[in-house]
Amino acid sequence: MSKSVVYTAVAGALLAIGSQAVQAAPDWSKVPKRDVHVFHAGVTPIEWATKKSDHSGSAGMRKGESCVGCHEEKGALNFNFKRLADKELEPKGAPKTMTFPVSTQVAYDAANLYIRLTFKAPSGGADKGDKDNEVKATLLFADAKVAQGAQYGCWQSCHADARSMPGADDKKTKYTKEGAYELVQWASKGNKVSDGSVTTERKMAGGGTGAKAEGGKSGDGYTITFTRKNPGEGKAVPFGVAIHADNSHGRFHHVSLGYTLGIGADGDIKATKQ
Amino acid sequence: MADNEKSGFLAMLRRPSAKYSLLSILIVGFASGIFFWGGFNTGMEATNTLEFCIGCHEMRDNVYQEYKKTIHYSNRTGVRAVCSDCHVPKDWTHKMIRKIQASKEVWGKITGVIDTPEKFETHRLQMAENEWARMKANDSRECRNCHTFDAMDVEKQKLRGSKMHKIGIAEKKTCIDCHKGIAHTKPKGMKEDEDE
Repeated sequence: MSKSVVYTAVAGALLAIGSQAVQAAPDWSKVPKRDVHVFHAGVTPIEWATKKSDHSGSAGMRKGESCVGCHEEKGALNFNFKRLADKELEPKGAPKTMTFPVSTQVAYDAANLYIRLTFKAPSGGADKGDKDNEVKATLLFADAKVAQGAQYGCWQSCHADARSMPGADDKKTKYTKEGAYELVQWASKGNKVSDGSVTTERKMAGGGTGAKAEGGKSGDGYTITFTRKNPGEGKAVPFGVAIHADNSHGRFHHVSLGYTLGIGADGDIKATKQ
Repeated sequence: MADNEKSGFLAMLRRPSAKYSLLSILIVGFASGIFFWGGFNTGMEATNTLEFCIGCHEMRDNVYQEYKKTIHYSNRTGVRAVCSDCHVPKDWTHKMIRKIQASKEVWGKITGVIDTPEKFETHRLQMAENEWARMKANDSRECRNCHTFDAMDVEKQKLRGSKMHKIGIAEKKTCIDCHKGIAHTKPKGMKEDEDE
């Protein structure tokens, strides 16, 4: 047997052992929890958020301030929820629960990024357009070409003319003007996982994250664990969470603001290395 | 008839009094001055009350109903800012100028320019723009009767207000630059500020 064959065999064995190791699920008891508050945002697409006469904070946004920088305070969101639930910003009727926490844990290894969401999905929704799924959980990851992706989170994909917005085309999905989001979704019916993207339109398949997800209901709480390809150590990836609770669809989700996820790097949420 | 014996009201006013002492005339003049001046001011102050402003259904049925839902009407500290606190200057000169300008509104009332909710909505943007322009021009003087940057501790504010006020102070912004539509419904079709 030649030396090269031996080396190849040894390298192959090590790789196999290594890949076994990196595939192992994280020990979640050792991964810190961070509450990410999601909220019903009503009709506040990016056009609203960046328009001064609608949102005076847009002056701060233009100076580089992030949504979280102004609106996450003392472990919660400081929005005027009365205003968000009012007819002007929610003409169809707001859900009874305007905001709730999603306990978020993130871990990574050489191959994957693991995200676990734990939350109680509230009832009392205002729109039950999705008869099949009681709950859906979606993650969006903005690439570097999404303008202010880290600042604005998912809002660069949320537009006034997208479906379920007042008067909008029912077939027009969320979209971006520049760059792309990776989209990963878990749906409660059949534990269905979608690996998609948002560019000029939203696609629920054909994504490149290799996403897997396991989720389930225990008591009145949901725990959903996503596994996706590691975008790269040393990166801070912009991401956001959306929960469609109580069979809601379209914009009737509870969404998070934009956070950065630090993978071996600084971020609003730091992933724990396995 | 001699020239100094001219008759008539004007001539009587011009003729020195032979009957009353200078002191009597001064006392009567002083007392009358207080009476008329006080009466004038009292009358003007009566037009500065909430009750006067909502005496017309145009105000009572539209902007008053909107204002009643805001913090300037009801709040935890029990301080209320009524219509005139925001819309009429406190100092006499500016107040008089504003009152004279407001006499045009009497004509509006007589001709029924905004006497239905539909007409009010048609004119809402124009009326709001007029008031915003007035407030912008006087550096939000009426706001600053109660709120000043000097007395404001931005560190005690909610994060969103704190950060925006720091920007506002640094850029010498005035209250109305951001705080539009805080006591009344924002009009549809608002123009975006050109300086942004």
